[in-house]
Amino acid sequence: MLKFIPYVLKSLWRHRARTLLTVSGTAIALSVFCFIGSVQQGLLALTSGANAERTLIVFQENRFCPQSSKLPQDYERTIAKMPGVQEVVPIKVFTNNCRASLDAIVFQGMPAEQLKSARQLELASGNWNAFDQQDDAALVGQDIAARRGLAAGDKFTIGDVSVVVRGVFRSPVAAENSLIYTHLDFLQRARGANEVGIVTQLEVHLADTADPDTVSKQIDGAFRAGPVATTTRTKGMFQTDTLGDLAELIGFVHWLGYACVGLVLSLVATTTVMSVQDRIKEHAVLQTLGVRPLRVFRLVLIESLVLSAIGGLLGVLASTAILSTTGMSIAAEGVTIAFEPSLVLATQGLVVAIAVGILAGLVPGWQASRTEIVPALRHA
Amino acid sequence: MSLVDVLNVTKEYANGDETIRPLDGVSLSIHEGDYVSLMGASGSGKSTLLNLIAGIDQVASGEIVVAGTDITKLSRGKLADWRAAHIGYVFQTHNLIPVLTAYENVELPLLLLPMSAAERRKRVEIALEAVDLTPRASHYPRQMSGGQEQRVGIARAIVASPTIIVADEPTGSLDDETTEQILSLLSRVNDELGMTLLMVTHDADAGARARRQVRLERGRLMENGKETKATTLRTA
Ligand SMILES: Nc1ncnc2c1ncn2[C@@H]1O[C@H](COP(=O)(O)OP(=O)(O)OP(=O)(O)O)[C@@H](O)[C@H]1O
Ligand SMILES: [Mg+2]
Repeated sequence: MLKFIPYVLKSLWRHRARTLLTVSGTAIALSVFCFIGSVQQGLLALTSGANAERTLIVFQENRFCPQSSKLPQDYERTIAKMPGVQEVVPIKVFTNNCRASLDAIVFQGMPAEQLKSARQLELASGNWNAFDQQDDAALVGQDIAARRGLAAGDKFTIGDVSVVVRGVFRSPVAAENSLIYTHLDFLQRARGANEVGIVTQLEVHLADTADPDTVSKQIDGAFRAGPVATTTRTKGMFQTDTLGDLAELIGFVHWLGYACVGLVLSLVATTTVMSVQDRIKEHAVLQTLGVRPLRVFRLVLIESLVLSAIGGLLGVLASTAILSTTGMSIAAEGVTIAFEPSLVLATQGLVVAIAVGILAGLVPGWQASRTEIVPALRHA
Repeated sequence: MSLVDVLNVTKEYANGDETIRPLDGVSLSIHEGDYVSLMGASGSGKSTLLNLIAGIDQVASGEIVVAGTDITKLSRGKLADWRAAHIGYVFQTHNLIPVLTAYENVELPLLLLPMSAAERRKRVEIALEAVDLTPRASHYPRQMSGGQEQRVGIARAIVASPTIIVADEPTGSLDDETTEQILSLLSRVNDELGMTLLMVTHDADAGARARRQVRLERGRLMENGKETKATTLRTA
């Protein structure tokens, strides 16, 4: 069969305009497919895994936007004494845009020591010392650094908040790569004096044996009478609730991924059908020379497979390149969904392209192999 | 011993209510080294008979035995393998594959046979040499004249040393001078390479170049004024 590959490639090249259009159409559809997949993965990463399921977020009751949740920082001490609680991290969140946005900036202010211990940040540039020694220092996630062109030493201002970048970090939690971390007291003061002693949320790390639900109930029970009532959820649930409609919308978008697959199928099938119809006589000549019907079938199948696989490969490469260089993400109410490329997704894209290529070639291939030789030879 | 035996072959087409029967119980034997021309009026069934012998059409009844194999009994796939090994087909319009060079077109039938690349190369070179087109090996069909294309077509038909070469009006779309070239080439293929040929033509001059001339007349096959018979009698 390998001996016939040059013939297949030359046949594709003969109609290069048609071939290139089909390949580029396939590439576009497959890159959209991977894009959609990466958003889905980003959402899934927020709501599952140990970080999402074993960490609690204490938020002001009935509040969603981080700007409007105001908890007394000294809740920290009360919660820390509860059974099953290992550590409590007070966090001040500031975002320039509470609505769904592709370019929201989210700051999280934390005590520097806890930032070091509670997050697994790996500095790609800059250093912790410089961060520790400066009030308005910030550590910037690599995705937002890429998006905004930030490097250590840069000054960066959004609204009332002005920081100096003292490091760019990589985090194993994809969404954190879109965050900017500052000192807690800096972010509290940066937004007006009366914010001192107030935090947006408390992050509770549980002991291994603790049950998240029990601890949540205990926390909310303790503050029901005030001064500020709380809602405590796992980080995963908190993020899902906060994203709300956006999460639902993203869940719906996966249908568009299937639509992309359908699109590629019809595109490649159309091209293959056209190519078979163009060559009714040629296939009859091949059969006359002694090419088996089954081999004609396989030749057509390979042709459609090559179209789809090349398109798929280009699409996967393009989307992976875009996703890994632009650090794109979408944020709402201070929660960020990172669009991450992944090997699984790239493999999925390729497998889809190959499967679709084979599927698209089945009917035209079968038609070509069933051609009656003598009438087909009379064909113009 | 005969190479090809056509035994009592009938071919019918249903045309509305009536049945057309271009071949009505014809028999013919072709011997090794024969050069047979098949003539007859337009629509008399020449191409039909040739295509049956070439194994690309199916009989209504009768047998076609080539080198000991009754090809009417073979499955589609087996028949394709059989064609690759036994038939060299020269079309009226050359029917070269447009995306392949002269060399690749000639090589094509060899790709279907178990053969080393070196052996293929040697055979293609010999075949191109035989039709005097060695310098054109890397040309595409569109870069050649009609006569040259037909010579490539003949090279493709002879390259695998088939049992029989069939040609359906191989000069039907060529001018006089080119026709002469092709006819003398076919004679050489028969004379010098010793290959067996069956050629359909409605040009009497062309037909006269063959060693044997048979005519189809109203469903019957005639040679020297008598109906042809198969020399190998088989009891079915
Ligand atoms: N698929 C078909 N359906 C119906 N009739 C057919 C079909 N193919 C051939 N015929 C008829 O069978 C007869 C023989 O056809 P064939 O092509 O063998 O003639 P021919 O001798 O080669 O003619 P020509 O010299 O014009 O090529 C013709 O009458 C033709 O109309
Ligand atoms: Mg004819």
